[in-house]
Amino acid sequence: MSDNNEKKVHGIVAEYESVDSLLNACRRVRDAGYKKTDAYTPFPVHGIDKALGIKPTVLPWIVLGCGLTGTVTALVMQIWMNSIDYPYIISGKPYISLPAFIPVAFELTVLFSSFGAFFGMWALNGLPRFSNPLFTDPRFDRVTDDRFFLYVDASDESYDEKAVREIYEQTGGEHINSVLDDDSSDKIPKPIFMAWGLVIAASVIPLLIVLKMRVTNSDQPRFHIFYDMDFSPAKDAQQGSTLFADGRAMRPDVPGTVARGDSNYDMNFMTGVDMDKLSAIDAPRAERLVRLSNGPIGPQDQDSTPAAEEGEQAANDSDSASGEAAKDTTPWLTSNPLGNSKEVLLQGEKYFGIYCSVCHGMNGGGNGLVNRRAQKILSPTWIPPSSLHQESLYSDQYPDGKLFSTISNGIRKMPGYAAQIKAEDRWAIVAYVRALQLSRNASIDLIPQSQRAEILEMQEAVQQKLLEEAEAEQQTQEAAAQE
Amino acid sequence: MSLAIPNGLDNSVEQPGQRAPLVLGDTTYHDITESVCQVAERKPSTSWVIGFLVSFALLQWLTVCILYLIYTGVGVWGNRAPIFWGWPIVNFVFWVGIGHAGTLISAILFLFRQEWRTSINRAAEAMTIFAVACAGTFPGIHVGRAWLAYWLAPYPSLNLWMWPQFRSPLLWDVFAVSTYGTVSLLFWYMGMVPDLATFRDRSKNKFRRMAYGILSLGWSGSSRHWMRYEKAYALLAAFAAPLVLSVHTIVSFDFAVSQVPGWHTTIFPPYFVAGAIFSGFAMVLTLMIPARKMLGLEKLITIRHLDNMCKIILATGSIVGLAYGTEFFIAWYGQVQEEKFAFLNRAFGPYWWAYWTMISCNVISPQLFWIKKFRTTPWIIVIISIFVNIGMWFERFVIVITSLSRDYLPSAWAYFSPTWVDWSMLIGSFGLFFTLFLLFCRLMPVINMAETKSTLAKQYHMSHSDEH
Ligand code: HEC
Repeated sequence: MSDNNEKKVHGIVAEYESVDSLLNACRRVRDAGYKKTDAYTPFPVHGIDKALGIKPTVLPWIVLGCGLTGTVTALVMQIWMNSIDYPYIISGKPYISLPAFIPVAFELTVLFSSFGAFFGMWALNGLPRFSNPLFTDPRFDRVTDDRFFLYVDASDESYDEKAVREIYEQTGGEHINSVLDDDSSDKIPKPIFMAWGLVIAASVIPLLIVLKMRVTNSDQPRFHIFYDMDFSPAKDAQQGSTLFADGRAMRPDVPGTVARGDSNYDMNFMTGVDMDKLSAIDAPRAERLVRLSNGPIGPQDQDSTPAAEEGEQAANDSDSASGEAAKDTTPWLTSNPLGNSKEVLLQGEKYFGIYCSVCHGMNGGGNGLVNRRAQKILSPTWIPPSSLHQESLYSDQYPDGKLFSTISNGIRKMPGYAAQIKAEDRWAIVAYVRALQLSRNASIDLIPQSQRAEILEMQEAVQQKLLEEAEAEQQTQEAAAQE
Repeated sequence: MSLAIPNGLDNSVEQPGQRAPLVLGDTTYHDITESVCQVAERKPSTSWVIGFLVSFALLQWLTVCILYLIYTGVGVWGNRAPIFWGWPIVNFVFWVGIGHAGTLISAILFLFRQEWRTSINRAAEAMTIFAVACAGTFPGIHVGRAWLAYWLAPYPSLNLWMWPQFRSPLLWDVFAVSTYGTVSLLFWYMGMVPDLATFRDRSKNKFRRMAYGILSLGWSGSSRHWMRYEKAYALLAAFAAPLVLSVHTIVSFDFAVSQVPGWHTTIFPPYFVAGAIFSGFAMVLTLMIPARKMLGLEKLITIRHLDNMCKIILATGSIVGLAYGTEFFIAWYGQVQEEKFAFLNRAFGPYWWAYWTMISCNVISPQLFWIKKFRTTPWIIVIISIFVNIGMWFERFVIVITSLSRDYLPSAWAYFSPTWVDWSMLIGSFGLFFTLFLLFCRLMPVINMAETKSTLAKQYHMSHSDEH
């Protein structure tokens, strides 16, 4: 012990074999009035804080603070990022949609509280601490195995080495030793220190390079790590390709493809207008019609819906036609380019049935299914489809070309059908509409002699039926009025 | 100090009026230290070396595949329209699920004062962290441009000029899984510090002493430290418990919040959580039973521990079975045509084999644990646990693949076929997992010595108070 004499004595420690004897000794030391004491055990011993007089820790409050910080951070972050700085509208929810922010808020609350509990505990414990005078005692290694130690610090007010030793001896303490200063260096060994420094320095280098690249300009071409992501390996039209059997990169057209502006029809057929005449009197409109028949592609057409516009024009024309003022000057085609053979009429009947009858009715009277339904539900915005049997729609006032244009482009409330119905079929419908109109005005002389009797019979039956229907209706109306 | 164990090594028999001992044999504190430390101190056994080499080789193969994927693009996977999630997400959910048992054992069983957790929690926590590491790999590479994965973080970007979208479950997922990984790591490490100090104090060579010295942060076993430590541990447990439940809930939101038939159901969160615990416990058992044999830890990880875990598997397995049934019922009861189709398609469509594998592994096999003989025979437990693991992988396969392969647009339907990269990555992820786990077995205290000792102290105390 001679060479230890000059060293500072930190305190005095004793070893115990069991929890019970340690607890007993703790109580004795506490009762003797020592405050700067501590017990060291391989596992948490319950009741020792009381036996030694240790006060409860403030850790839970620290953790509460951290947890609340986490909640607030998460909410502020989400609201700032998604509702204020860069407002996103997601599935029509309000900008500050709290329910959607709860999961992240919960996670950050837990994360921050856990950091608080973890780091707070180590900080309160004064750890990490790599040099501890107690560790100089070779027996102290067993504190993490199966031995229990009691320690009284020399700086305690009522410290008295002899008295402490006495308590230790009486309570069964063994190997009672003074704890001396640790004369081994607590500095980190040089090689480790240097290696550590090197690692830190090395880890900064890539970040610095990135930073430099970010803030400076360079005249060198960019470095491409993933070349094919920066430059797509797409082929040019005339290049070869191994992907296809014919070895060409460019694919042939799908059968039936028609190039823009390359349709086989003449423009009169596609527009219903005599284009030569139109170019003579209104060249810009003629040009527009040609362009429209090619589809709306030019920058000139981008802001308007061209088909609707053409419909509008036709509407204006017909308005002015019905009014006294300006006459419809458009040189409409006056005859159907398909003629009116039986095939054309049958085709027209078919397509009229498919596309027009829902609104205009099978007979063109204007009372199709859609109209009946709209009347029934009293739709306030409903405009009934016109009857096609008005005189103003007859061919002398409403040329075939114009009817064709109405079908193609629509008119006022009626939508255009150019997109659904091919031009031939539209012309066929025109022919059929004419036939329908004729059916209400034809004289019996147009019917072959052999069929006249049959027709007249039918006419009588129809008239009878119409009369009956009118009577029935009147009766129901009267009944309703009486009520 | 000696303990009389009335039933020999079998402590799974209930003794009326007496708690069954959790540490067996004539054990002293020092014996516990010895038996745990010898695992790390003696030379590695041949089986460990072989196991490690195999796992490490698989890990390298995974690395190669990941590099190949990043260099070539995600087309190397079998992910094709409309099945864009494919195996990477199946594997992700599988591993996250496995990662649930550890924290559950540590936190929830701790809060419920289930002392039997003490000798298994350490390894289970380690398993959690390694499983989360495996899980994290998959979405990381599934984003396609893996080097831009940091875009998920809410940082002020100089070239995006925008923030992440916080109303998306995929982003919640990022926060949930990373919080879970971090908190589990803290929990695990904190629990290990006193035991690392034991390693430090037993180390014979200087290097070991220094390494464990740094890791144990100068732990001295002071009562003041223990008091704060226990407080912090209880607090962490209290946070980790709801956290565990939240993580798989949020993972299930990835599916449930979408519109895909078969995913868009409110039952997903509880059903996923039960499945996660189920698969996690199965994985713990699969690992623990061979480990306890090889490492000679039968006195600390006793039959009673295995028995208890089997009961949890039985309970969660039944919940999972009930959930499968409920899903079907609701698909019929809800009368949504697509939902009905989705479930019939699962069971009788082109993936029927996956569905019925899942049902037989997850619903039928755990029911065997009603029989006590099965719960207490280690090799039977291992076999059933492996079946459960297979079943749970297939569950995720069924959910991800069948729903995506046939959704609303029949013209886009397709059949998923994995590529060799898919297979390699699934197997490689096991390489990653086992490499980490085997290293852990060698380098870290596999059993929580401090806590086991305090269990022993209580046991000792009890048996003595009985005598009076
Ligand atoms: C969606 C219902 C609907 C369909 C289908 C429909 N129309 Fe019309 N049609 C209308 C309505 C409504 C009007 C009256 C528009 C107005 O006055 O605003 C109308 C008006 C007309 C007119 C009178 C134009 C004018 O200048 O007064 C003709 C001719 C016509 N339709 C022909 C047809 C033909 C031929 C078809 C089949 C290709 C057809 N319609 C399909 C609803 C329809």
